Amino acid sequence: MSIAPLALQDLGKRYGRLAVLRAIDLQVASGEIVALLGANGCGKTTLLSIAAGLLAPSSGTRAYGPTRVVELDRAARMRLAFVAHSTQLYARLSALENLELLASLRGDAPGREGLAQLLERVGLSHAADRAAGTFSRGMQQRLAIARALIGAPELLLLDEPFTALDHAGRAILTQVLLAERARGAAILLSSHDLDAVAQCCDRAVLLADGRIAAQTQRERGESDDAFAPRIRALGLGRAHAHAEAHDREPAP
Amino acid sequence: MSVPADAALGGLVLAPRRGRAHATNRAVVFRQAWLLARNDLRQELRDLELVLTAAFFTLVVLVMFALAFAALPAAAQVLAVPGMLWLAVAFVGALTLTRIFDREREADTLRAVLTWPVERVAIYFGKLAVSLLVVVGCGALLMPALALLFPTAGVFFERPLEAIALLVLGCVAYCATGTLFAAGLATASGKNVLLSVILYPLTSPALIFALVSTRALLEGHPQFSTYLGQLAAVDLVVLVLASWLFEPVLVGSQRPHGPSPRARRERARVQAERP
Repeated sequence: MSIAPLALQDLGKRYGRLAVLRAIDLQVASGEIVALLGANGCGKTTLLSIAAGLLAPSSGTRAYGPTRVVELDRAARMRLAFVAHSTQLYARLSALENLELLASLRGDAPGREGLAQLLERVGLSHAADRAAGTFSRGMQQRLAIARALIGAPELLLLDEPFTALDHAGRAILTQVLLAERARGAAILLSSHDLDAVAQCCDRAVLLADGRIAAQTQRERGESDDAFAPRIRALGLGRAHAHAEAHDREPAP
Repeated sequence: MSVPADAALGGLVLAPRRGRAHATNRAVVFRQAWLLARNDLRQELRDLELVLTAAFFTLVVLVMFALAFAALPAAAQVLAVPGMLWLAVAFVGALTLTRIFDREREADTLRAVLTWPVERVAIYFGKLAVSLLVVVGCGALLMPALALLFPTAGVFFERPLEAIALLVLGCVAYCATGTLFAAGLATASGKNVLLSVILYPLTSPALIFALVSTRALLEGHPQFSTYLGQLAAVDLVVLVLASWLFEPVLVGSQRPHGPSPRARRERARVQAERP
């Protein structure tokens, strides 16, 4: 049995007395796309930040491949890429320079040609020399995704990657994700876009109140059309759980 | 990730960050620090925002000093010139450090760098190099200008090597301390107000050392080299401490605070089953 590139075990995160995540057990296998669904504030970004090493868990363990780690060192970070909700681009640098920076820092740079190919994959080859600050939000999102692909990471962590993308942008991202899955990358993403999730993910996990409340998996050979209702049902479950949580809140 | 699987599966392990690969690691740190500094400089060259602000501020300070202290007697100049020099350096330094990390905060790019395979200490040395370049540059404007305005400061021209060494060592002490805390605040809330509040008290020892050494240079003190040596020692201590503290200051401890609830339940179960 192959070892999952990401395995979170009994993971918890507290901010003081507020428990944001509780007893999360989640594995993402090579060649698998897992979507995190849930209402705002349910802990999706916190979970991704912990997986990316930006936050420390309050309890539980993180394992990347065969190794459980407390602190992510440089070698561990070589194997993962994280796209945050904000695009985190250098506005004064061109699209190509933004990619070049990470490529040179990694030390396994694919070269200018390789980076140009990455830009082509996300439909930005025409804007390679334009400053990222002049891009629309959707273009910036695509550039951030292109940057995450540098070095062909084993684990891709994407926080709401479909944000701000138009129809064409969503189609490009879906193609990129499917290609990365075919390459063998493990992908964990969060999203509110249930249709986009249904088109690319193999498994969807619903987070509610900091716990994994439910999950659904694509059957072998199951089409997007057949899988989409289950994803939507999970999404409706989210809405239902959210409404219940509101009902439980005492009146002011 | 460099830990063998067998060892890793046995229990919780810390991926070793130091040891055999020390020399390679050092080369990586300096290469990455250079790349990050070059990235900052490249951005700076696009709009010269920081350089122009710092240079203009230095010029304004010089004009004000010239107007206020031009008539000082020589004995008073020996006391005043070091204060003028290092006060200006302190203000330009604060301006520079604030702006350097503001840029990262604007687009949240520092968080992106934290997820990249970059040695955390390389971020420190990269930022230190840029702030040092700006502050030393302003100091290089200040020193000859002060020497022209105040005859006592003519020593800066007479003993240029000592003057340059003094400027560089003093700026290193200031920027090394300032960069550490500016970086820590860049990922926290509280931001610039807190930086101004903590920066001056924390850099005061470095500034006082630099100030006393400058006075020794102006007075032609026979033991000036000792003063310079002490300043170099301060630099070394600050640099070692800062590179050691940088990662915890920047991202905090990554260790879980205690055993997981499952581990606690398991331990409680084992204890309950004991006769």
